[in-house]
Amino acid sequence: MSQETIIVENLSKTYQVPEREGGFGAAVKSFFKRTYTDVKAVQQVNFRITQGEVVGFLGPNGAGKTTTLKMLAGLLHPTGGTANVLGFTPWQLKTDYLRSMTLVMGQRNRLAWDIPAADSFLLAQAIYRLPDDEYKKTYKELDELLELEPLMKKPVRNLSLGERMKCEIAAGLLHRPKVLFLDEPTIGLDITGQARIREFLREYNKRTGATILLTSHYMADVTALCERIIIIHHGQLKYDGSITDLSRRIAPFKLIGVQLGYSNGHDLSRYGEPVQNEEDAEKHYIQVKAEDVTRVTSRMLSELPIHDITIADPPIEDVIERAFNE
Amino acid sequence: MHTLKVLSALLKINIQMSLAYRADTLINILLNLMWLGWELLSLSIIFNNTSTLGGWGLPELVALLGVFRLVNTLMIALVWPNTEKFNQSIRDGSMDYTILQPVNSMFLTTFSRITIWRAWDLMLAIVLIGVGINMSGDSVTLFQILTFVLLAVSGVIVIYSLWIVLIALTFWFTKFDNNVTIMQALLDSGRYPVTVYPVWLRIIVTYIIPIAVATTVPLQALRGDLTVSRILLFVAIGIASFLVASQVWKAGLKRYSGASS
Amino acid sequence: MLKIFQRLWIVNWAEQWQYRANSLMYLLYWLVSPIVHVAVWTSIANANGSVNGLTANDFVNYYLLLLIVDQFTSNITIHIFAYKVQDGSLSGELVKPIHPMLTNTLITNIAFKTMMLIGFVPVWIFLAVIFKPDFASVTWQGVLLAVPAILLGFIVNFLLSGAVSSIAFWTTRVYSINEFYFALFVLFSGQFVPLQLMPKTIQAIAHYLPFQLQIYFPIQLIQNKLSPAEILQGFLIGFIWLGVVILLFKWVWREGVKRFSAVGA
Repeated sequence: MSQETIIVENLSKTYQVPEREGGFGAAVKSFFKRTYTDVKAVQQVNFRITQGEVVGFLGPNGAGKTTTLKMLAGLLHPTGGTANVLGFTPWQLKTDYLRSMTLVMGQRNRLAWDIPAADSFLLAQAIYRLPDDEYKKTYKELDELLELEPLMKKPVRNLSLGERMKCEIAAGLLHRPKVLFLDEPTIGLDITGQARIREFLREYNKRTGATILLTSHYMADVTALCERIIIIHHGQLKYDGSITDLSRRIAPFKLIGVQLGYSNGHDLSRYGEPVQNEEDAEKHYIQVKAEDVTRVTSRMLSELPIHDITIADPPIEDVIERAFNE
Repeated sequence: MHTLKVLSALLKINIQMSLAYRADTLINILLNLMWLGWELLSLSIIFNNTSTLGGWGLPELVALLGVFRLVNTLMIALVWPNTEKFNQSIRDGSMDYTILQPVNSMFLTTFSRITIWRAWDLMLAIVLIGVGINMSGDSVTLFQILTFVLLAVSGVIVIYSLWIVLIALTFWFTKFDNNVTIMQALLDSGRYPVTVYPVWLRIIVTYIIPIAVATTVPLQALRGDLTVSRILLFVAIGIASFLVASQVWKAGLKRYSGASS
Repeated sequence: MLKIFQRLWIVNWAEQWQYRANSLMYLLYWLVSPIVHVAVWTSIANANGSVNGLTANDFVNYYLLLLIVDQFTSNITIHIFAYKVQDGSLSGELVKPIHPMLTNTLITNIAFKTMMLIGFVPVWIFLAVIFKPDFASVTWQGVLLAVPAILLGFIVNFLLSGAVSSIAFWTTRVYSINEFYFALFVLFSGQFVPLQLMPKTIQAIAHYLPFQLQIYFPIQLIQNKLSPAEILQGFLIGFIWLGVVILLFKWVWREGVKRFSAVGA
């Protein structure tokens, strides 16, 4: 029976956010009386993760994934419920806990900007008390997987985003943590960059057996890496299971966008479900089941004067909204 | 010891950073010399018009300038750069990384940035103190020197603790990143003996924002003006202030993790 | 055009209000130095009867008036502007059809002063009660004359600071240069001590530099301590400097923007 590394029970986090309107009058009023609203960022979330699993947290922006991750890392105190990671209560921030886990945030920099990554690595070695031989061994492994050596001597601000992310992740792994919390690690990277990071994480998990918890709003991140997906939406856990089960549950569909030769009198509801898209005024969008795409597209191409046609995945928000509508 | 290893790693990093900005360092040294010239000029203007100031003569004022510069150098070399980094880290969220390091966050916040070349400034300050003592013609006993060092350290700890409390306030009042300015302002009063000031200012800079504890007081010890009980009192104040600061910092971190997102 | 200023005012004032705690701190910071100097010089004057003809009361007058004059003539342009160049937000302002420095930065300065005034007035009254200045030599003619002098001092200082801040277009070392500028200001403006007490050479140089327009000149005007010839000369030199800094600022700004657009943010 594999060890349960992460145990989360009824975890909740509610914020009190001060209300304020703009304008001078409101500023003066708020000086005297503050009103607050409750924001339920995470509501009664439950799950258990065993050592060595790679789990993806999926959900639209603001869903509560990052908040959950931060509570597990120990950065936030929950307002309700418990969490146990590697036998520790994370927010107690015990030194032994901090030395066996790592948090890497895609949008925040850990490494000092003006100096080469190598120097920041040496600082990490001192902070985590890594003996020289152990540190060198770990570095060599990371270098093999990430090709770090050419990046080490340049000041971090001179690295491209992809190169920087590699160094940021490596910096977080120098102390061989047993649990990795990754918050949007591939954000802003191009396709190759994203693939590179995913490949690395897969390999790292295989070699070290580390538990990896990954948040993303890119479906691709998660499908490529994780056998298990947890979907969080509006702070609630909507789904916890395998990817294959998930794809069975969500009827897959695609968005077809067409630019027509004439601008009036178009009723596309014969072909699929019309969808509003404020961003693109030129195109009209319809939603169609994935299996019907070829059939509907060829029908449209033969029956309508189409200038341009695109077929794309719907944004993840829509997928989740559809599948887990409250 | 672990702390020393981390400190030496931080020193190495900061030396690297200052090497990257060599020209800046040179300009700063020149500016610093200019300010020293200006400070000595103002002392000479004062003593062209009087023979004592607050009961102290020119030699004492020169030594006081040295002590003041000692404390001021620590402000510029440690406090200002780390305050900037601290405020930045709260704004951009990198404070999260600092919290998750298995090293005391207060320690990391204190020593992340060290303006290395200011070590030269410290030596200059010590020279000034020596010159002042020499000018006064008084002989100085070993005991006086030791108590001077002890109280200088204790005074610096008081100022350090004050700084920690001031920046910790940002955990509660995020729009308050001008926090350290008041300290720097009142520090200016440390150039002159505290006896010159009206009572209310004297009280402020001795008991509320205790600049005088780091400037006038150690110099009084050097002159042998303090009783043993007073010396012990000031040392106790130094220790107590550090304990208070650590508690405030801890409370601030709790607040940060409870209220941020 | 008026509407633009109105809008800028609303935005800047809201921002100042948000950071009112900062303003309070800045106010206290800025007060300490003059108070320290009053204490030092009154103690010297009391011990020796007078200093170079100035009594303790003269010093109290000087520094309390200094607080008022400095409030009006100082500016924080360097603190606002260098950031904008370095973090690129200046680009946004440059594409607007109004001059960033002469409108937005100017209004920011004024909004900042207004915010400071709110805290300043009660504090100044408190200091006046404690130090008991004797404003016998102050006449309404003096105050009237001082108004254009203060305006002149502010404009000259603002444009000069603007020119110095514009060095940020060329180098990130603008803060060092600004520190040098500030050192000159402290030396030659009468900020530390009434200019009569400075060594003769410094006094002579200060006479022809624009810095004393900000501090010493208006204070002496208010106290009616200048002869008509001196008043005339002071204003003359002031206006000459006004012409010089307008040209200087225009030139530096133009070159700076050229460089900014060529090199990028």
